[in-house]
Order: sequence, then C-alpha cells, then structure tokens
Amino acid sequence: MSWLVAVYQYDWGIFFRSVFQPDGLILSGVWLTLSISVVSQLIGVLLGTFAALGRMARLAPLRWVAGLYVWFFRGTPLLVQIAFVYFGLGVTGIYRWPTFDLLGVPIPGNVQAGIFALAVNEGAYMSEIVRAGIMSIDRGQMEAARSLGMPYSLAMRRIVLPQAARVIVPPLGNEFNNMLKTTSLLVMISVPELYVTFSNKNASGSTVFHPFELFLAAAVWYLLLTTIWSLIQARIERRLGRGLAGSGDERPGLRGRLFGSRLSRDPSLVSGGR
Amino acid sequence: MNAAVPSLLSLIGGVPAAPGEVVVEATDVHKSFGRLEVLRGLSLTVRRGEVVVMIGPSGSGKTTFLRCINHLEKIQSGRILVNDHLIGYREEDGRLVEDRERNIARQRQDIGMVFQRFNLFPHLTALENITEAPVQVRGIPKDEAFEMGRALLARVGLAAKASVYPTQLSGGQQQRIAIARALAMKPTLMLFDEPTSALDPEMIGDVLEVMKELAREGMTMIVVTHEMGFAREVAQRVVMIDEGVVIEEGSPEHFFTSPTHERTKAFLSKIW
Repeated sequence: MSWLVAVYQYDWGIFFRSVFQPDGLILSGVWLTLSISVVSQLIGVLLGTFAALGRMARLAPLRWVAGLYVWFFRGTPLLVQIAFVYFGLGVTGIYRWPTFDLLGVPIPGNVQAGIFALAVNEGAYMSEIVRAGIMSIDRGQMEAARSLGMPYSLAMRRIVLPQAARVIVPPLGNEFNNMLKTTSLLVMISVPELYVTFSNKNASGSTVFHPFELFLAAAVWYLLLTTIWSLIQARIERRLGRGLAGSGDERPGLRGRLFGSRLSRDPSLVSGGR
Repeated sequence: MNAAVPSLLSLIGGVPAAPGEVVVEATDVHKSFGRLEVLRGLSLTVRRGEVVVMIGPSGSGKTTFLRCINHLEKIQSGRILVNDHLIGYREEDGRLVEDRERNIARQRQDIGMVFQRFNLFPHLTALENITEAPVQVRGIPKDEAFEMGRALLARVGLAAKASVYPTQLSGGQQQRIAIARALAMKPTLMLFDEPTSALDPEMIGDVLEVMKELAREGMTMIVVTHEMGFAREVAQRVVMIDEGVVIEEGSPEHFFTSPTHERTKAFLSKIW
C-alpha cells in the first residue's frame, strides 16, 4: 500500500494535450458519446410521444401496454437494463447483437445494444414529460381543431403537439443534458465512448495512472458538449415561443441556463408554465 | 352597406350547396354527464337559411345541445341528423353505435363552430388559423387557401392582421377571425356558442355585425346568445330551453310581446 502515500506526480501536459490536442481515440470517444446521445434521445422522444398518447388513449389495452412500459423502465436501474439487453439477450441467444452495416459504416453490437437500452429507458421518462405537455394545452384547442373536421391524429400533430412542444422542450433539454453524461454507463458493455476512452488511457499506455489529469480532461469534454447543447436549446425555445405571450422576454439568459437549478425527473414538476 | 363590398358567402363560393330543406333535425335527444341529465328529450328542427337563437338560463342545456350537433359530446339516446346524416353514430339493429373517428371528422367539416372563448390556435398567425383546416383537411392548394383567407380577413375588417398571432389581438378581433376560420371550411351550418359572452362591451358590436351579415346572406345558423337585439334583427325563430327541453319557441316578436311560459317570462325579465 506504500504507493498510495507516495507523492502524486502531476503531469499537466496530459491534461492540456487531452483537451487541446486530442488524439484520434479521444475524438472518436467524443463522437461516439455525441452520436449515441443524439440517436438515443431522438428515439426516446418518439417512444415517449407514442407512450404518452397510449396512456391517454381511449382503448384500455393501449393504456395498459403504455403504462406497463413506463412502470418497468422507470422502476429498474438503467445499468441493469443495459447489462440485461446486451449480456442477457446476447448470451442466451435471444438476440446476439451482430454488427450492423449502416451504409458502409459497421455499427458494433454493443453500440446498438447501448442505443437500444438508452432509448427505451429515455422513452419511459419522456412519456411523462410529453404527457404533461399535452395536458397543459387547453381542451378548447382540440375541440376547435376537431370542429374544423380534423381527425384526432391530425389535430394532435398540427395543433396540440406543436403547442405542447413549448412546454416539453425545457425538460427535454434537461433529459438530453443527462443523456450526454449517462452514456458513460455504457462502460458496462465496453462501448468506447468518452469515459471509456479516458479510463483506458488511465489503465495503460504512456498516460497510465494519471487519473487526476485524465478525468479532469474528460469532465471538460462533457462540459463542452453540455454547454453547446444549452446554446442550441435556447435557440429552439426562442423559435417555439413564436406567437405566445411573453415569449422572448422571459427565457433565462445563458447564465440562467448554465447555472440554473436542475429540474427534477418528477413529472409533476416538469409541466412548466404556459 | 357599400355595394362594392363582397358578401361573406361569395368569398367562399356562395351558400354551400346541400340537399334538402331541413339542415338539423334533432329528435328526443337525451344527454347525461354521469348522473346529471342535461338534455331530457330535446327536439328541434332547423331549415335551410334559417337563423335560430337559443336562449335559456345557464345550465339549461343549450350549449350542451349545440356541442352535440357536431358530436363534441356523446348522446345517450335520440337522433341528431344534419343534412339527413345521423351525426356521430351508426344505427345497427335500431341501436346507436358510435361512428368511426374518420366519419365523424368528415361530418364536422360541414359544420362550423364558433366558441365562447374563440379557441384560436396561438402558434399560428391569423391567416394560418384560417387556412390550416382548408389545406390540411380539404386539401385545398396553399395559395388558393391563402387567397381566400386574406379575402375573408379583409371582409371582417382585419386585412392588416394577417401575419399577427392571436395573443396580440383583442377579443373582438380574435372572434371575427374565429368566424372566418369556420367559414373557410365552407360549412352548410354554423353553430355559435355564446360568441360575445367573453367580450368587452365595446367589442361586441363588430362581432355581431359579421354574424348579422352572415345571417342576411342566408347562412343557416344556430346561435346560443343572450343578445336579444341580435335575435330581434336577424332571427327567424327563438327557442327557449330550460331543464334540457324546449319549453317555448316562436318568432322574436312573440318573445318580445307575449311570451306564454312563466319560466320564459322570468328569464326574459332578468336579461333585459
């Protein structure tokens, strides 16, 4: 145990090179984290929207299926879901996650499994957010749309959801912010995303055992991604605010969105104001 | 009125064609919310071109009945026919079975509705509010719909507001756009649910003026309102509803001069 008390040799060069002169491994880790997050979130939003509509459906079986889905995936740890989806399905041969060829780019099985688990888990949380958004829209909107002859699906798509989007986007932004960071759980199934890349650098090679500099650099990369997302989110919210009272003036500034309090995942808190 | 001003209905291609003399035929309509029976066997016939004003105390069922006509509310029994088609239901072995969503939507295309609280779409401009359904539902080409929308906006005195969002408009302006929005679907029947009740007094006149023009041009209208001046000027018939049934009907004159029912007298004495 004597090495633990030895004086740690800082090598700030490792930190600065990792941040300002990233090698191919780091860049591919960043790219993987970003692309897995975007794809998982997009699928999660779609799943969440359908689950939300399912939970509000008139047909009872639809409500049950949607309710079961949300109950299960919100009630079990994501880490367990990731492990089950990749190892559980893979080892038993239920689905072995073979490499998939996407227009010439091979997508490894563990990346697919990771996206699958993240998306399905995210969908369960998004469904509550979408449901809160839809319920925040005045009933008169749906009635007016239907009185003009719009079928339910068209009225939902053209009238209710675009308005609900304004309520949905702020908590959705939080979800994506979380997603960018949560991809690090894919270490479980060895997806070489950002965290795994730095973890590997700490375990072997020329930068072995420099956890301070390496994980600080990893944090900087995550911070860069979440900061860029904050800026994009602010733009989206401004666009969605068109035509609505007080839009443009009430939105928090950059400082507010970077340092503001994190919204809870509790759906009762995400409905936001109109 | 200025002869150069086009009629409202000419902007949507004249009085929409529809067969038959009777537009609405409601027979023995029953409607309950839980254990509360709101409509208790209401019957009403409305002929083409007729303007019917429905009055009655709050809770009497007049708004509920209006909403049943385009199946925003289900009914428990009875029949409502619009242009000879059963609304919201199919008849199977003499029993009413709720119709398919698509068919109900199809029926609603021909029934315009104007709400007390306007219900304009806040994420769309005034013009888009009017063109949304014609484009999305009727499949009218966008430029054609926009041309008709602009003409309707100009006709209700809001040409300058085409690209303005509803929240930036007064209640009276919003309600005139709501009327234009309903008209753009070329309905054969227009339902008005207390269209001026949510308006400031100085805005009521503009909205009533548009409604009066529509009435004079021959649109078939059912209007729930307490504006007895409107009833006197354009209604062919006034219908007094209380406790879910029609208790008295007649010409506006009849209601002004010699209402027979005690409850009608009591009600009228309160609103004048």
